[in-house]
Amino acid sequence: MSDPIAGIGRSTARWLTRVGGLARFAFNAVRAIPSLPGAGRRVAGRLLLNQIRFTALEAVGLVVLLSGIFSFLVISMAVRELGKVGAFDLIGRLIVIVIVRELGPILTALAVVGRSGTAITAELATNTVLKEVRALEGMGIDPYHYLVLPRLFGCIVSVTILIVLFDTVSLIAGYLAAGAEGMSGGRYLGVVLASLTTSDVAVTFGKGILFGAVIGLWPSFHGLAVKRGPTEIPQAVIRSTVGSIVMIFVVSALFVLVQ
Amino acid sequence: MRASADGAVPFLSFQGIPLTGSAAGTFALEVLPHESVVVVGDENSGVDSLSAIALGLEPAVIGTALVFGTDITTLSRVDQLAFRRRLGYLPAGDGLLSNLSLRDNIRLPLRFGSNFKPDEIEGRVEVILALLRLTRAAQERPAQANEEQRRRAALGRALAFDPELVLLEQPFVGLTDRVSAEILEIARGGELGNGGRRTVFITGQDIPMLLRNRVERVVAIADSRRMPVRL
Repeated sequence: MSDPIAGIGRSTARWLTRVGGLARFAFNAVRAIPSLPGAGRRVAGRLLLNQIRFTALEAVGLVVLLSGIFSFLVISMAVRELGKVGAFDLIGRLIVIVIVRELGPILTALAVVGRSGTAITAELATNTVLKEVRALEGMGIDPYHYLVLPRLFGCIVSVTILIVLFDTVSLIAGYLAAGAEGMSGGRYLGVVLASLTTSDVAVTFGKGILFGAVIGLWPSFHGLAVKRGPTEIPQAVIRSTVGSIVMIFVVSALFVLVQ
Repeated sequence: MRASADGAVPFLSFQGIPLTGSAAGTFALEVLPHESVVVVGDENSGVDSLSAIALGLEPAVIGTALVFGTDITTLSRVDQLAFRRRLGYLPAGDGLLSNLSLRDNIRLPLRFGSNFKPDEIEGRVEVILALLRLTRAAQERPAQANEEQRRRAALGRALAFDPELVLLEQPFVGLTDRVSAEILEIARGGELGNGGRRTVFITGQDIPMLLRNRVERVVAIADSRRMPVRL
């Protein structure tokens, strides 16, 4: 009888340990920022630009495609169905809340987890297994400076940029969808822009920063936590991907709760 | 604590380090300035962890390891990193960053941890590449280079700051005796003003016979008791 309860307890304890480990990891990463040596800043800056290229620039096509198809479908359906009851004015609010504020950031973050989060975990786990991380420490380079901070800030910048891109493309796709359903472009833009508030923009940027931090930290944490050998790398990638997805939904829910 | 004839403090000192799988005793050793000391022991003896313990990369649960008279583990993290930049370290398996060329691997510690100007760094890297006969392979990634080139690059990285003390883990594995001798000679460097050479601490499972006459001491580990093979 006690086995299922013990099982729940064990998995909860494991989960809490992992979250505690991540919190300590995040704290150490932030604490490492001021100690980044002057010369190291130039190297870290170049790594940051590389990370933005991999995470943002190379994901532009994917995000445009996702946003274009998703937004076209959702907005054309919304225009069609709401048009039947003459509720065109609700379309603007619907688009802003559903796409710009909620699903846009989540879908973008999930795309980045799939592309870059997995790559970060696999790369850092390989670095660890090949003892490259230990070699860095041995030559006086903090792995937080060289490996973690460029990825953390690279993901924050990239996810924020990609969310803005997703939302922009969704508004353009919505314009085309509304036109295809017989709604005039001027009216569409009017209802959307009237519904868009500064708080929506702030929430979008806030989510970009926090989702980016999750994708920068969680995969780095799991990548560097690998201890035993190469066989642990796929497990680390799975744990980091699942954990990142869960964290993104949790952060998104927190945004809803505090609004 | 042992001291050299001129009263110099040991560059490296181990006291009471219990090595893995050998509860019988503890390990103690002092490496004086300008000495080349090799510690050999089988895979389970734990000799491979000595350099990591000295650098504070692995904790010594019991005993102490002092480098230039300092226990690195007592320093703050920032000071630990700065302290390690005064040393040269060649880890087992080379530890070269696989996404950088051999040249960039050698350049990295200088770019990250020094205030040298870019042309000074380039000049130093060129000298190291030439010294290690790596100029032609400099643009290759570690996966494209052979074991000898990788080992040379890892040594070049360890010597980037021209340190007084170099710690080498298994530096001769997979190399011919001739290349091993060359690696040792480069690690020791040329004669200094006082006639001495760079201090070198080497750990591994064996040392080529050819090199036994080229170092000051070879210490063999058995059941964690220090057994000098040749003084």
